[in-house]
Amino acid sequence: MFRQRLNLEFATRKKANPRYSLRAFAAFLETDHSTLSKILSGARKATSSQLRTMGKKLGMSAEEITVHLAAEHVPDESTVQREAMLAHWTAEALAVVTGSLHWAIVRLSKRPEFQADCRWIAGQTKTTLDEVNLALTRLLRLELIDGRWRDQTGLAELTEITFRKLALERVRKKAAEDHIEIGGKERKATKWVTR
Amino acid sequence: MGNAVTQFQIISKSPEEAAKFYGSLFRWKVDANNPMGYRRIDTGSAEGIQGGIWPAPPQTPTFVQLFVTVEDVKATAAEAVELGAKLLIPPTMLPEGEEMAVLHDPQGMSFGLWRAAV
Repeated sequence: MFRQRLNLEFATRKKANPRYSLRAFAAFLETDHSTLSKILSGARKATSSQLRTMGKKLGMSAEEITVHLAAEHVPDESTVQREAMLAHWTAEALAVVTGSLHWAIVRLSKRPEFQADCRWIAGQTKTTLDEVNLALTRLLRLELIDGRWRDQTGLAELTEITFRKLALERVRKKAAEDHIEIGGKERKATKWVTR
Repeated sequence: MGNAVTQFQIISKSPEEAAKFYGSLFRWKVDANNPMGYRRIDTGSAEGIQGGIWPAPPQTPTFVQLFVTVEDVKATAAEAVELGAKLLIPPTMLPEGEEMAVLHDPQGMSFGLWRAAV
């Protein structure tokens, strides 16, 4: 990261000359000390133009400067993690509001002839084994069925509409545990909830 | 005595392709003839552990999950949560009597707990 490179350079210069100041370093880099202070502390990033100028002053090659420019645009780990979480919960919400396999499995589980056998469920729902297994895993994650694949919705009136509503509520609840808000009543958008 | 890692599971976006690839490369036998339609991998070797292949949800990248055998899945899952893990799939009895649970460790890596059928 460019900031660390700058901090290292500043520390090296101060070690060689304890009286070396931030103002002197800023003057060397052709910027003002206030801007440099913010860049060093991480309060702001160097612009591409500043990075090029500072990089040249520090004796970096064009290739090295290009790498630093690219690195400045790579999202940090926490951003990547949050984006993955957002994608995950959005996909979970989409999965329970589209298609009717989840609903069909729960409905089947209430029948006396129900068999806890994915091949039987796939045959009944005319879907593939992988589709059934994905849906079962999701139903377990959302605690809509129990470990023995029995209905855990607790709904007095189990219809496709009431089931979907409950399933979406469960997705919202689980997403909220990861500080993600999935389409509220008024705002039909998915967003981060800042802690 | 500590708990052993006894299973690996490939979570794949294309389970069938994964089965073909690894079956062909390592001469593993993959058999899905069971109530879960679970693609069990028999490596054919007495060394190492055996595994399986499970479909990955559309938003999840392909990855490998390790399962650790425990005596009591529920108790170990509860202990893991106390230590900072997050329960993804609660303790679940499988059709052939095995029990499993899947969790995220405090760093976000998923792992499974496993107890063989009694």
